[in-house]
Amino acid sequence: MKGLIKIIVTLLIIIILTLGTTGCWNRRELPALGIVMGVGIDKAEGTDKLEITAQIIKTSELKSSTPEEGGTGSGSSGAGAYWNVKNSGESMFSTVRGFTHRTSRKLYWPHNQIIIFGQSLAEQGIQEYLDFLLRDQETRLDVLMLVAEDKSSDILSVKSHLEKIPSVGISDLMDSQAANSQTSVIRLNQFVTRLMSPTTAPIAPIISVQGKADNKELAVSGTAVFKRDKLIGQMNKEETRGLLWVINEIKSGIIDIKCPDQEGTVSLEIINAKSKITSEIIDHKPYIKIDVKEEGNIGDQSCTASLVSPDAVAAIEEKENEAIKDEIESALSKAKKLNADVFGFGDILHKKHPKEWQEIKDDWDKIFPDLEVEILVEAKLRRSGNLGPPAAPPEKE
Amino acid sequence: MGVVLRYLIKKSKFLKLLSQNALERKKQEPSQDGPNTPTNLSQSLKTNLDLIKGIIGNNYDVVIREFTFERQRQVNAALIYLSGMTDPTIINESILKPLMFESPFTINSAPKLDDVEMIRTTMLTVGEVNKSANIDEIVDSCLSGSTILLVDNCHEALMIMTADWKSRSVDEPKTESVVRGPREGFIESLLTNTTLLRRKIKNSDLTIESMKIGQRTKTSVCIAYIKGLANPLLIEEIKRRLNDIKTDSILESGYIEQFIEDAPFSIFSTVANTEKPDSAAAKILEGRAAILIDGTPFALTVPMLLIESFQSSEDYYSRPYFVSFIRMIRYLAYAISILAPAIYVALTTFHQELIPTPLLFSMASAQEGVPFPALVEAMGMGVVFEILREAGVRLPRPVGQAVSIVGALVIGQSAVTAGLIGAPMVIVVALTAVASFVVPAQTDSGGILRILFVILAGFSGGFGIMIGFIGLLIHLTSLRSFGTPYLSPLAPLSVSDLKDSFIRAPLWAMIARPRTIGWPDPKRQEFRLKPSPPLEEDTQSK
Repeated sequence: MKGLIKIIVTLLIIIILTLGTTGCWNRRELPALGIVMGVGIDKAEGTDKLEITAQIIKTSELKSSTPEEGGTGSGSSGAGAYWNVKNSGESMFSTVRGFTHRTSRKLYWPHNQIIIFGQSLAEQGIQEYLDFLLRDQETRLDVLMLVAEDKSSDILSVKSHLEKIPSVGISDLMDSQAANSQTSVIRLNQFVTRLMSPTTAPIAPIISVQGKADNKELAVSGTAVFKRDKLIGQMNKEETRGLLWVINEIKSGIIDIKCPDQEGTVSLEIINAKSKITSEIIDHKPYIKIDVKEEGNIGDQSCTASLVSPDAVAAIEEKENEAIKDEIESALSKAKKLNADVFGFGDILHKKHPKEWQEIKDDWDKIFPDLEVEILVEAKLRRSGNLGPPAAPPEKE
Repeated sequence: MGVVLRYLIKKSKFLKLLSQNALERKKQEPSQDGPNTPTNLSQSLKTNLDLIKGIIGNNYDVVIREFTFERQRQVNAALIYLSGMTDPTIINESILKPLMFESPFTINSAPKLDDVEMIRTTMLTVGEVNKSANIDEIVDSCLSGSTILLVDNCHEALMIMTADWKSRSVDEPKTESVVRGPREGFIESLLTNTTLLRRKIKNSDLTIESMKIGQRTKTSVCIAYIKGLANPLLIEEIKRRLNDIKTDSILESGYIEQFIEDAPFSIFSTVANTEKPDSAAAKILEGRAAILIDGTPFALTVPMLLIESFQSSEDYYSRPYFVSFIRMIRYLAYAISILAPAIYVALTTFHQELIPTPLLFSMASAQEGVPFPALVEAMGMGVVFEILREAGVRLPRPVGQAVSIVGALVIGQSAVTAGLIGAPMVIVVALTAVASFVVPAQTDSGGILRILFVILAGFSGGFGIMIGFIGLLIHLTSLRSFGTPYLSPLAPLSVSDLKDSFIRAPLWAMIARPRTIGWPDPKRQEFRLKPSPPLEEDTQSK
């Protein structure tokens, strides 16, 4: 009897102690969750308040429209398998909690795919809204960050033609950007890393609604450039790729150049690209050198000349060098014009020359627009696809 | 659970008293027949016959055959045997015939005291004949199938071994069927079983010791081991534990198992059983001992290691590569069978963030409108599955099939359509059910662990599963089977024995016997047995 009591007491102590050592946990069944897939943050119209649009999945709709969506047609699916619920409030957290007044289920954040900031809000500064997203246990740091060209709630209400949930469509859209490397796909943690740097300017892709009424579509249209936490300008697609060349984010892409000695264009596919930034400080003046190494294939050519001869390859590589250099220079000049160090040159100088950096760091905003940057591009043409010379009638002599 | 059981047993001290009383009563029983009951035979045939008739005479199957030597009436004798347990041909041809037609006794030479010995040595053409004067011994041997020969004027009886009864022929075992390997299995007859073993190991060191357990059933129990290979202390311990069994009946090897196991409160069995002689022989050859019990095709082998549950005799008959894969599949299947429903419950009620988003979509939509929490669902489905399984096992085969079809339809189809249970839960439970059959030796422990883990997961999620798993590991490491650590060769780690654990190394590489078991004679075979083409020098010299 005594032994039994001893065992039970020991067990109870173990259970109580171990349960106390765990973190935050909560028992919730799946049907009690309002799973948030995307969130848009805007300025509420007419007031200073902020307005949050949360895209919640309707799990019951998801089920019914799974197998025979083609049969019922897109019209009958009505609101679709999602619900965009809006709430406005003073602070991020109180607004998020405030959703419980409008939704029957508590919002569940870990599966959130995207955060979209409205343009007007982004221009005012977004630092204060990021704190909740970083501090809360349920939100994730690898969520995609975007800036809407207008209001973020408009973006979230555009139906995706391929995915059931618009947020999933946007997140998949971001994944597919690697094929062109003309969009700076950025996640919350990357954005915040740039935000916390004293010099580097945060960037985020811009998403916009295109088409009208029934035929709305979403498209990525460049890169938003922030100075500290405020949106100050945009880069177009070419400039964005120029930026990505420098920060070593090029995955793939197509470069169009003119055919050597002939009319027509050659499209070159980027297979492999690497860049290296080196820095020097001479007489208190910083210099930056960008080395870009690229390998590519011929993907398409509209001229009829054979481009596989060593001479032609050399000529193409030369032109490709020029094209890449042009892209980088356009990005550089845009960045200098906005006086936003999107490339992170300041951080590189800080790391390489910590002592000299102390002298110039306060003047960085003055130094950056006139910074001397040397660009070295080494493009290599490796293969020509399944064809050597093009499939064309032989040229007459 | 063990704690509760232990408490109940401690608490019910009256049970102990009851058992003591019963034992005392049993001890007194013989004396209750009367203090004047003799324990030894007398000189008179008539008295002796009356005595034995008094003990077993009014039985349907007892045959008492009185006869005289030659055609003289002077010398009387009687045979007592049980029909059905004896071979009539032996009794007719080898006992009655020589005694009645070739007897040297005449009127003038009445049998003398030592004539019993003369009959034994000269007249009976039967292999095993013993002499005794003790009535208990005589009756016992008669009940085991011997024929008792009583001769007038002699105070000793002959017990002639004539045991022979109908038994099932050697058949393919139902529980451990193999694709490749011998198909014979043990049967209910102990003698056949020892023969099957002896035929596998033709070695003078193979020792099969016998004893009788059970005050009423007097069941023959044999311990089979190889002298010099099995740890002598192990054999001693087995004998000690077997001798300590003071019960009235042993009907199956499970009775013995529950009396000799090391951890009676554990859900894990520390005594292995097998129905296959080749499997038993292999274990004996590794240094274990087998315990064969009359009346059951299941032989026990000790000591048992946990990894034995994941081994099959077929593993050693097939080539090692696929077998190693299958071994790992078995471990995986066991893990699935105890953890899958628990992990599902933990994920859906606590850790939804761990589910990949597209999977969460389909799980959430399947769970939509299901009225029960995941814990209740998992427990309910688990119970329903156990009901179906039990019904399928007990019912005759054609009915059993009907049950499983109805069950599959009701659970798999209707419950989901009616919205009572989510489809993913059905998949999880079905997977668990199938996986639990992969490791038959641990089906019972798996069933209990599954429920335990589901409850833990339902109350505290992955944390509960982790606590449960740690507790399980602590329990497993604390188990011993006849002095051998249950988790060996994993804990304590014996690297050389790992080649027969998660993988099965080629036979030529398994030179040593398992270290914790076969240490008295560790070397199984020679080194360098790996087959290879002949060396060049060898072929040239030839």
